Amino acid sequence: MIKALSESVQTRPVAPVLIALFIGFSLFSPYFLTTGNMEALLTANSVVLIASVGMTLVFLLGGIDLSISTVISVSAVVSGLVMAGTGSIWWGAMAAMSVGLSVGLVNGLLIGLLGLTPFITTMATQLIARGVAFVLSKGIAVQGTPYGMLDFGFLTFHGIPAVTLTALLVVAVCMLLLTLTDWGRHVMLIGSNRNAARYSGINVRWVEVSVYSVSGLLGGIAGFISIATLGNAIPGVGDTLLLIIIGAVVLGGTTMEGGEGSIGRTVLGVGLLAVLISGLNLLGIPFYDQLIIQGLLIFLGTWLAMKLSARRH
Amino acid sequence: MKTFSGDALTRQKWLPIAIANAVFSVLLAFASPAFLSLANFQSMLVQSAVTAIMAVGMTFIIITAGIDISMGAILFFSSALFAQLMIDTQSYLLAFAAALCCATLLGGINGLLVVRFRMSPLITTLATYSIYRGMAIHMTGAQNIPVPREMGFLGNGRVFGVPVPILILLVIVVAGVYVLNHTRLGVYARAMGSSTRSARESNLPTAPVTIMVYAIGGFVTGVAALILLARVGGLQSGIGIGIEFTVIAAVILGGTKLTGGSGTVIGSVFGAFFLVLIENGLNLMNASPYIYDIVRGTVLLAAVMVDRLSVRRQQKALLAVKAARFDQPQSVGSTT
Repeated sequence: MIKALSESVQTRPVAPVLIALFIGFSLFSPYFLTTGNMEALLTANSVVLIASVGMTLVFLLGGIDLSISTVISVSAVVSGLVMAGTGSIWWGAMAAMSVGLSVGLVNGLLIGLLGLTPFITTMATQLIARGVAFVLSKGIAVQGTPYGMLDFGFLTFHGIPAVTLTALLVVAVCMLLLTLTDWGRHVMLIGSNRNAARYSGINVRWVEVSVYSVSGLLGGIAGFISIATLGNAIPGVGDTLLLIIIGAVVLGGTTMEGGEGSIGRTVLGVGLLAVLISGLNLLGIPFYDQLIIQGLLIFLGTWLAMKLSARRH
Repeated sequence: MKTFSGDALTRQKWLPIAIANAVFSVLLAFASPAFLSLANFQSMLVQSAVTAIMAVGMTFIIITAGIDISMGAILFFSSALFAQLMIDTQSYLLAFAAALCCATLLGGINGLLVVRFRMSPLITTLATYSIYRGMAIHMTGAQNIPVPREMGFLGNGRVFGVPVPILILLVIVVAGVYVLNHTRLGVYARAMGSSTRSARESNLPTAPVTIMVYAIGGFVTGVAALILLARVGGLQSGIGIGIEFTVIAAVILGGTKLTGGSGTVIGSVFGAFFLVLIENGLNLMNASPYIYDIVRGTVLLAAVMVDRLSVRRQQKALLAVKAARFDQPQSVGSTT
């Protein structure tokens, strides 16, 4: 029992910290463990959760997708414009997903087929996506969000917001894809040993193209959900999210070098950052001190994950 | 002759971006007669000075296969420290010294953390980005602080008719070129970037070199911070947000490889200038400022794609040469 516990702590060092923080904040602030705060916390972090899953897949492959933050923005804007034009939520969802998928596909083709560096490629597409988001929306929030979309943002099932359930559904699907399919095993193998993967006959290029495409698609879904949580499609919505997304993934214990990590850990990482930010806000800690704490946490968390993983091997 | 020019293009990493600058300048000169004036070129150089100065430091870091995402935060931190110290002590000497020392120190801390904890530089500096920025806003209490009017000299003043930022840029570039090409630090930095393992196994002082390149990055960011502060007129909350990506773009456009080992200081400065040139061109066309990002991203993509394709062609040519060499002995044997 104790051995099993210590093993699970070693593989998921974030879990006990998350539980401790949760209990701590509940004790120190009477507002933390209220339905209102929990709903707000879940709603606010659904977008980050979906995008973080995309980033996790790319990290597992040994790459990085800097564009995912502004893919959220551009797909939100396009989706918002489509919804304002057609009044149909479904068309809006389709638009967001196709925009995300196209940017992801471009990333994938450039990186997988042409062999460009993931960092620069996605940095460039990040700029382009941001520019398109601002040009299309003229720099302001897109007006004319259908009421159905706003209702969707407020909808809850037994205290759990519908947007969070959507995010969890996305998480579940990606988890299944990663653990149960050949594709998932190929992703993990390419991340841990690229050459071995190539020599064992895996089509590395195709897997790369598909992972970046999926990452883009998840960015698109996140963008669509952001309209429901914020009430409007906002062209700058993704700008500040990149740091939180990467922070959540590495804090969960998925390393950037690839092959090491899981979507489950990222969910814990997102949870940890979400609880931390919410708790610190309730305790009246100003945002700049939160930045310091977040930075320290990302640093120490990554270091700890690295140490533990080195001990396991 | 043809092979010579091709050779020069690949060997002098800064040549393609220099040519791109020249071609684009000619195009803009045709588009607008006002473009081709000394005043306009001076103002473009001044505009590019902050990015270019930081790009010199970033070049050193990227050559060792590192990266510094926290540069914008260091920029903000040293600006904040300078402005705050000017308000508190009114001593230029103290404020200047503190801002530059602190910037160097923060850069050095990045290097130290990368060396000591052996985490990827990207994650390490992402964490310090958040920490430095938080510390700076904590220090100033999230307020905008004006700097004294004389300070404007650094941003808009002239010495012998040349704008001060250009002079500072010149000094930094000359120093950067010297250190990178003519000192051990530069040689070691390149060696580490080509192969960290070989560098370590041949007993190069990899740890001090890493700390030094990040410290250099911090120092030049401190210098850039003072110029930016002088030009803007005071501390504003948005200073430095996202500038690290512009700086990285300038370095990459300049022909430096993100994988380390090769790159030039001159190229990075040309890269920074090219970004301003594009902005100038878009201004001439009365384009919406939102389009800048799209054009900048496209240019960056085009640059790395062209580079990648040329590398591929080179590799193919190399293979062909090898194959020819392999064939040769047989033909020699058949003649005798």
